[in-house]
Amino acid sequence: MPVFGELELETLAGRLPAMKDLDTEAWELPKAEILQLACEVADGTRVLLPRALHPAIPEYVTFVVTRYPESPVGPFNLAQVRLMARAGVHPRGYVLGAVASSQGAVAVLRERWGYPAMAGEIALRRYHDRVAAIVRREGKTILEMALVDPEIVSGGDLQYIHAITLARVDGAAQLIQVDPHYTVHQASRGRADVARFEPAAWNAALLELTTPISASASTCDTDLPRIRFVMDPETPVVRGTRKVR
Amino acid sequence: MKFGLFYELSVPRPWTRESERTVYDNALEQVKLADELGFDQVWAVEHHFLEEYSHCPAPELFLTACAMVTRRIRVGFGIVVCVPEFNHPIKIAERTAVLDILSGGRVEVGTGRSATWTELAGFNASPDVTKKSWDEFVRCLPRMWTSEKFEFEGEFWSMPRRTILPKVYQRPHPPMWVAVTSPGTELDAADRGLGSLGLTFGQFAEQEKRIAEYRRRIQLCEPVGEFVNDQVSTVNFLYCGEDDAIALKTGRQMANHFNYLAAQLISVRETYPSKSYPSLGLLPQLRRQATGPDASEQAGEGLCLGGPERITRALKRWEACGVDRVNFLVNTAETIPQAEVLASLRLFGKEVMPAFNGGKS
Repeated sequence: MPVFGELELETLAGRLPAMKDLDTEAWELPKAEILQLACEVADGTRVLLPRALHPAIPEYVTFVVTRYPESPVGPFNLAQVRLMARAGVHPRGYVLGAVASSQGAVAVLRERWGYPAMAGEIALRRYHDRVAAIVRREGKTILEMALVDPEIVSGGDLQYIHAITLARVDGAAQLIQVDPHYTVHQASRGRADVARFEPAAWNAALLELTTPISASASTCDTDLPRIRFVMDPETPVVRGTRKVR
Repeated sequence: MKFGLFYELSVPRPWTRESERTVYDNALEQVKLADELGFDQVWAVEHHFLEEYSHCPAPELFLTACAMVTRRIRVGFGIVVCVPEFNHPIKIAERTAVLDILSGGRVEVGTGRSATWTELAGFNASPDVTKKSWDEFVRCLPRMWTSEKFEFEGEFWSMPRRTILPKVYQRPHPPMWVAVTSPGTELDAADRGLGSLGLTFGQFAEQEKRIAEYRRRIQLCEPVGEFVNDQVSTVNFLYCGEDDAIALKTGRQMANHFNYLAAQLISVRETYPSKSYPSLGLLPQLRRQATGPDASEQAGEGLCLGGPERITRALKRWEACGVDRVNFLVNTAETIPQAEVLASLRLFGKEVMPAFNGGKS
């Protein structure tokens, strides 16, 4: 049997987002722009991963910065660092940390989808030879990354893996599956370049980047959907998954 | 229809030197029995770094051992990864020839290009060009086996005029195959006159369509070798027991375990956007379709798990689809005790094999 995560939930006590309930309404999010980088990391991330999940072989993370020009709380940007994993046989990205660019977005992302979002500044810029993102919190740059030398690819060449957040629901820790839909209008890929990454600012002090894998950027219509599945963070998902709807 | 065994050589944790050895020993014992029962071939893959799923980085060594303990069964060297960072083509030609000599001319060669980021990145190989390097390799290999002297200048490798030794034992050379996972690769196989070595379980209707197109296309091929290998092979699970329900349950456990291990790897598609690896081409993805919790009843009907009657029915369907060979995975991570695997093979040999090829093995 593959190895499992080794996260001690107590280490996150008091820091988990508290969700109101699982009756989250979906948000349509048209014309979103997504910059995603993937990078292998040094061994040792299992202590960051809930026991319900398996680490990918080899271990890797994704950085996802999204600009949402339209949403019920107005335009906002969201940056996430995800530790890529497996929920049983399904690839999933466990959200280690998140930053949103407006207080309204932070509150809703925490309450409705369980994102461990904090407020910060996020810039997403397209240049001729790169698509770049910078994330700052409390006056400090905590992520600076870019897709370098973009080349056009088909939207079908991109694969966005569903996210899993860890939140408190009715007083108990739960893994929440966030599985948006994507209709990609434009896509490119290129070399991944991470110029700066402060792991501690993303609840991942142990994380050490090793080999960059790839970078992609897209413009797409997407959503933040209703919650469909939740999982017990301490039980293998084959036994610990509950269908909400 | 011909039957064979197919080995990934999966080793469950915890790994000890004895657990690795047990998996290899058990596989050898299975191959020896399969040879006695009339199975036609045994294949061994080339994989690297695939924890638990496959501990088989040197298939030609395992197959040499197989050849030494058997008399008749053919040995399928593959899938040999035709990517220069993994294997130099001269070494592939030489190793194939030695295995062919040692086995007395029983080698088949399966070619491929790897489908995981786990492996390709491990060798620092770019996923974007694996199909091109594969193409270059498969066009060279037959000439390296058959020409007295050989020289080559290509995009991925070059060599001055030399004599590549030894030559293969079979004349003109061993049959060549292509691993087919991505839709469309069967057409690449057909265009080059190569056998289609299907590694996905798929469903009857989908496979039938792909096989028909392969057969049509290969009629028009320009073979890369000295002859056309117009054959279609697929992979399946095998667990055959007297009690259909119990055997089905046991076999399902094995298949699900296999599927679970495969899903832990990183496919190229998951993390590296590339036209070279289209969306439906993922080995784990298609295996999941066929064997995972979402598998439809239709897909389940194609699996060779259960009693002899059920398995015979499934294989007759595959035969009607145009499949020439079926290679079986008979265990995963030692999920099934060795004695039961051997009993399953014996029962298959006694009750199922006679229903094919006029009862002749």
